[in-house]
Amino acid sequence: MDLTPNDIQRQALDAVDRILERNGDWQHNKKLVDQTAYDQGLHDELAGAGFFELAVTDGAGPLDAALVVERLAESAAVLAAAATALVFPMVTGEVASGPVALANGLGNPFRMGQFAKTVLILDGDTAKRLDVQAGDVADVNNDRTGWPLARLSPAALQRAASLGPGSGDKLRNWWRVGLAVETAGAMKGALNTTVGYVKDRVQFGRPIGSFQAIQHRLAQLAVNAEAAYWLGLEAAYRGAPAQAAAAAAAYVSANAPVMLRECQQMHGAIGFTREYPLHLWTMRLPALQRELGGMTRHARDVAKSLAAALEPQGARPMATQL
Amino acid sequence: MDFDWTEDDVAYRNDIKAFLAEQLPPGWNGYDKSNLEKYKTDSIAFAKAMAARGWLTQNWPKEYGGQEASPWRAAILSEELWPIGEPRGPQYMNVNWIGPAIMAAGTEEQKLYHLRRISAGDVCWCQGFSEPDAGSDLPAMRTHAVRDGDDYVVNGSKIWTSHVGTADFCFLLVKTDPTAAKRAGISILLTPMDTPGLEVRHIDGFVGEQAFHQLVFTDMRVPAAYRLGEENRGWDIVRRALSFERVGAAHYETGQLILNRTIVEARRNGMFEDPEIQTRIGEVYAALEAARMLTYKVVDLRAHGSPPTADSNLSRVAQTSALRLAGELAHVVFGEEGLEAGSGGDVRRVLAFSVASGTTEMQLDQIASNFLALPTKV
Repeated sequence: MDLTPNDIQRQALDAVDRILERNGDWQHNKKLVDQTAYDQGLHDELAGAGFFELAVTDGAGPLDAALVVERLAESAAVLAAAATALVFPMVTGEVASGPVALANGLGNPFRMGQFAKTVLILDGDTAKRLDVQAGDVADVNNDRTGWPLARLSPAALQRAASLGPGSGDKLRNWWRVGLAVETAGAMKGALNTTVGYVKDRVQFGRPIGSFQAIQHRLAQLAVNAEAAYWLGLEAAYRGAPAQAAAAAAAYVSANAPVMLRECQQMHGAIGFTREYPLHLWTMRLPALQRELGGMTRHARDVAKSLAAALEPQGARPMATQL
Repeated sequence: MDFDWTEDDVAYRNDIKAFLAEQLPPGWNGYDKSNLEKYKTDSIAFAKAMAARGWLTQNWPKEYGGQEASPWRAAILSEELWPIGEPRGPQYMNVNWIGPAIMAAGTEEQKLYHLRRISAGDVCWCQGFSEPDAGSDLPAMRTHAVRDGDDYVVNGSKIWTSHVGTADFCFLLVKTDPTAAKRAGISILLTPMDTPGLEVRHIDGFVGEQAFHQLVFTDMRVPAAYRLGEENRGWDIVRRALSFERVGAAHYETGQLILNRTIVEARRNGMFEDPEIQTRIGEVYAALEAARMLTYKVVDLRAHGSPPTADSNLSRVAQTSALRLAGELAHVVFGEEGLEAGSGGDVRRVLAFSVASGTTEMQLDQIASNFLALPTKV
């Protein structure tokens, strides 16, 4: 057990930071969000530097990919980061040739679909792969959720190739890990912005971050954000076992709405404007929170998995002394 | 970064399980603390058996009879001992922070006298910290010690003290300079519990037998040679000691045990079919896993030789809230039948957990200042 990044991981994260710095500040991301666009330039640069291969490269693996995805999400980069860098390579064993999107069945809108070169579709118990052609994907008016959303055409689902028996579970598990890591990053980005704001914002003659009513709530958010980060990374390292993947997804989808409402509340009115960057992180959280059925679905899968591992007993179990 | 246990770690955990099976009766679930004499004898016997294996103080420096074992070993030990009811009794405090505090600040004579006893496993301690008017605001303590020749004369009172009934010594905080600023002017006296002038009053409570006591000091004479560290400089030693205390216990494992028994009961009584109960089970599990990871982060920092950080406060807050969720769910699932004593669904101890070792509010204060670097609060 060693929770400190090794030299290779540190170097990879430093390199990502340098690319992000060159790529532009939050105004750059805001412009893309306003135009419902994709950061293809950043995508190509990261692909060229090998970051979308990490998950299936010798000497690296899904943990390294997850670390990079978290950092990209924390920066509010306008990318399909988890799907491209983590989920696709772990499910197919291949390196993505362009942006990847993940669709849950035919009916549900899904993130970044209109920019995807490949879509992995969770269709019941089976995962399907769609190499996107014109007419496969249509924009969905999404009322500014922070993510461009799209929907599949029935013909596209027909044409998509099955990845074989058992592939549905594999896709669901890795999707949950990617979701956990991406949400953890968005939570951290929202928290960092809020901590910065309350240190600067003066009311009643002092920074509002000096009030205990604010401090305790931020401290609790820090606990939630840190825990989300570690649960996602651990599940990635372990190869997305069903129970750990569902638990990580349950944790982030339970805590994302708390982060959303608290960060918005602590910003007051400025937080609702598009001149201020908070929305780049917070407005992404509701879509992430609902993905794959949301918290109740993740949590019930955890419960079923725990129950299956326990021996049934005829008698009442003993109480536990604390 | 990796999340695997080493082969040594796995072997060590198996050794502990085998040792526990050998030392404790099957299904052992904690001591009956209403029989203090037996509690003390049995917990000392267990600690001595651990000492005989070299496990009691394995994390101590070699110089003091330890093996400089990895902090991960202490974490594994804690995960195995806490959920079944901590068979070391109060001695976990000795090895986790009282011993290390004596190593850091003690005289050669104190080290020789106390460390040997602690590492042999046959001495019990209690901690004299809180006072009737100094709880979370610990530095506001008023118990004072006045130098008189080779002794200090102590007057005042400590309260909410646990493990008094078994204690041979008290790690006692006193004010030696009443005029000094709050955190200055505090000293530590390693006080034998049989010192004349020390009166113990039992306080009746509802969170376990023998949980609370008041210690009253009336002209208690303690030799100055029993003072740990310099006069008026005790606060620094205590602060460090407390940062060690907070990561001592793997309460998330207790929570997992509660959750497992709750699931078994929910399946027995049919409540598991309720989707709402399933959702809560998943949430509790995720919260316990979150607490485990934040605790591992603290262990990792220590394994890398980092000084104490606010990560221990994050771990404590996560553990507290996860254990509370587990206790509350057990309460719901064990239901009316669970009202019978000993039959489950006991939320009382869960309530106390967010007060002991520093209230949740104090932990959040520490996180705000030391993790988020928020401005000094008003």
